[in-house]
Amino acid sequence: MDDRAFCERAFALALKQGCEAAEMVLREAQSFSVGVLQGEIDTYSVSRERSLGLRVQRNGKDGYAATEVPENPEQLVRAALDNAISIQSEDGNPMAGPAAYPPVPTPADALKDMDAAGKIALCRALEKAALGADARVRRTAACKVITEQSRVRLRNTLGLNALREDAFSACYVAPIVVGQAGEAQEGGAFRARGEAADIEACAREAVEEALGQLGAAPVPPGLYRILLRNDAAYSLLAAFSGLFSADAAQKGLSLLAGKEGQRIAAACVNLRDDALAALNPRPFDDEGVPAQNKAVVREGVLVTLLHSLKTAQKAGVRSTGNAGRAGGAGGPVGVRPSNFFICPGEAPFDQLLQALGDGLLITELSGLHAGVNAISGEFSLSAKGFWVRGGKMGPPVKQIVLSGSFLALLQGIQAVGNDTRYSMPSGACFGSPSLLLGELRVAGAGKNA
Amino acid sequence: MIGEATAQRVLGAALATGGDFAEIFLEDTETRAIAMLDGKVETAAYRRRCGAGVRVLLGEQCAYAYTAGIGEAALIDTARAAAAILAGKSGTASQPFGPKRVPPVDIARPFSSVGNAERIALLSRGTAAAKAVSPEVSRVTANYADVDQRVCICNSRGLWAGDRRPRTRLSFDAIASSGGEYQTGGERPALGMGFEAYERIDPEAAGKQAAQTAVTMLHAPNCPAGMLPVVIDGGFGGVILHEACVHSLEATAVAKGNSEFCGKLGQQIASAKVTAIDDGTLAGEWGSLRVDDEGEPTRRNVLIQDGVLQTYLVDILGGRIMGRPVTGSARRESYCYAPTSRMTNTFFAPGTDDEEEMIATMGEGLFAKRMGGGSVNPLTGEFNFAVLEGYWVKAGKIVTPVRGASLVGRGADVLQKIDRIGRHMWMGYGMCGSKSGSVPTNVGQPRIRVSSMTIGGKGENL
Repeated sequence: MDDRAFCERAFALALKQGCEAAEMVLREAQSFSVGVLQGEIDTYSVSRERSLGLRVQRNGKDGYAATEVPENPEQLVRAALDNAISIQSEDGNPMAGPAAYPPVPTPADALKDMDAAGKIALCRALEKAALGADARVRRTAACKVITEQSRVRLRNTLGLNALREDAFSACYVAPIVVGQAGEAQEGGAFRARGEAADIEACAREAVEEALGQLGAAPVPPGLYRILLRNDAAYSLLAAFSGLFSADAAQKGLSLLAGKEGQRIAAACVNLRDDALAALNPRPFDDEGVPAQNKAVVREGVLVTLLHSLKTAQKAGVRSTGNAGRAGGAGGPVGVRPSNFFICPGEAPFDQLLQALGDGLLITELSGLHAGVNAISGEFSLSAKGFWVRGGKMGPPVKQIVLSGSFLALLQGIQAVGNDTRYSMPSGACFGSPSLLLGELRVAGAGKNA
Repeated sequence: MIGEATAQRVLGAALATGGDFAEIFLEDTETRAIAMLDGKVETAAYRRRCGAGVRVLLGEQCAYAYTAGIGEAALIDTARAAAAILAGKSGTASQPFGPKRVPPVDIARPFSSVGNAERIALLSRGTAAAKAVSPEVSRVTANYADVDQRVCICNSRGLWAGDRRPRTRLSFDAIASSGGEYQTGGERPALGMGFEAYERIDPEAAGKQAAQTAVTMLHAPNCPAGMLPVVIDGGFGGVILHEACVHSLEATAVAKGNSEFCGKLGQQIASAKVTAIDDGTLAGEWGSLRVDDEGEPTRRNVLIQDGVLQTYLVDILGGRIMGRPVTGSARRESYCYAPTSRMTNTFFAPGTDDEEEMIATMGEGLFAKRMGGGSVNPLTGEFNFAVLEGYWVKAGKIVTPVRGASLVGRGADVLQKIDRIGRHMWMGYGMCGSKSGSVPTNVGQPRIRVSSMTIGGKGENL
């Protein structure tokens, strides 16, 4: 059965069985990925994915069912209905009708017209660039070029029929360098979309990252002034982004519940969620609500949380276009950021180093899936970076633990850099400039000098 | 899921460009998930995944292609897409299939025969037990999931294997709050069997445990930072073995020379007290499977015996590079991933030390009663993990619960510093993410002591 016929059959069955409405999301994707090791193709993967996700509404309750084999609409509708009648929450579940979508720029894609052979050659060249960047580079742990094309069609019985297409590409390299006494360190860098063919810059950054860590040692425990480099800052923002979900707030699972209009960060902090941002735009969210660019925090004050239709209805506001469906196409509608970033300030990085004076520059945070508690707002994370003394970068630092509370950290931001960087611009994307923080508690096995 | 003749045509297409090994992995998986907040069901979802992956090897090169759907035309296209990249002259032909390796699976209550009402009852019972712990328990989120994965694996060496892997899990997360402050506790029991799992899993106990942790942490000061002895309790505490050591024993890291344990077979890599095992055969366990995702029967692999490294975890491709036999350790999240070496149920074998003595003689340090997740870089062995429920120990006595602790270290270092291993081993349940996706794994250990570790936390000295 073709997708259109399957969808129409499922809608007819759902309505006949007493549903008020039904919605189908059809997601199709193709991907290509090549990995090179020592000039040879090491891994190669191509794919074709397709899934259909049905949502039915009965007595105001949503039920979900998804499949990758569109053969049996009766069974899918039955599964979704069984789920709808199991819902006990009294929340309303609005569904979107047709809407006009803003024009969305087609993001730049450096690999758009490149065939498989071209991508393999690019991947080989990336590895060569990394191996050639410094005599201490021994090999790469990974060297990859990936491209993906996806199409999402959203259709419902209220007349919504919307199509979203995206093409994504990226290259990534993780060189391994070996220093004196055989000490190995790994670095990593990526370039995506319009920059996906910038292999020299990608290789150079990854190698510098690895070389910079040679000789790293823990610091003694204590309170340190901290400069959080842009990439470490966006990874922390990503880990705590759930705090900004109205869904979490309404469920009593966010410290930001009821804080709209209040100061939650230092006055130098501006935070936006911009679904139209040129690096990773989309015309509508996973409910078909038009994409928006909005201030989330303005000069330290929380302007809005992120809303879906459901949370917006509950709060008596308009959806911010942040509905997201988990698990590919088929999961329940929740809330997620689009392109979520701290706006750049005016200070160049060097000026932030000067302002830090003596302290630590943190360049990497790891274990974010475990060391962050989004409910309590607390974090305790393994970190890497550098000593900073008199505004100058000193020796590298590793195996330390940086601990604090995210809201206190936002309140304590002393300066915001002008050096914004973004995470891989696909799906939810996060960005931040470097942030000069106050003092944070650091654990480490280092000895006092 | 597939006929023999079709399978041979697909393998033939996969080998058409001179690959020396081809494999088809077919999967048909049903998943059901229900989420409850404070006693009311919020969402319920069903998902069926059905697709296939075709892998072709040529020496140490791996080409993989996958597709949704398992019709012959799609499979042939997929095989050709994988083969397209290779240009070999192996002349390998696909062998006729030998005896089918499809171990029997005994499922008393298949998930498809269970109505949502029974699932919801489990969530309600655990939620009520959590709420009953204290009026400070302000929210309880409860999640139910079941997965019924059917797989069929056939390859050009004539292997034909199948497995059915029912799994189910309950998760309770409690939030305790007072004065605008929130603390959490969670408990997630899981088993690898049908709905009969709930004759063994006690939802009330799980809900109660989650709430008790949250309430305890609400009244706990922040953990101080330091370099001190750490006692890690049994069960999920075994995540330290998982992160600090066994990820670095996977062929994924070892084959390319990217592990701190490369070239260490037969060497003392841990304290002589340490024996570590990965056992995928344990009946009904969350991390078990009868045949692995390359069709090899799972087995009990002794990784470390009395501190000496015995074996790595090896899949077909890793084995080619390392020149070592496979260990029944190949796993993948779904057909969307090529398989690689992974853990199943991984644990420290019981030792001979007294559980109380190891705290009584530790002086000052941390008792990590309940662990969270962690991560590791196998190249350097540097790992980190979170402590969900910790207690500060002074002069061998627990003085107060502490919150927000985390532990960092190097695997090779911490294995040598294990100076106590208790007598009673039990396991906890997790999801492990790596190259071939997210797979269910058990971790386990008796209570152990590490003579010194870096403890992170934002508290003042206690």
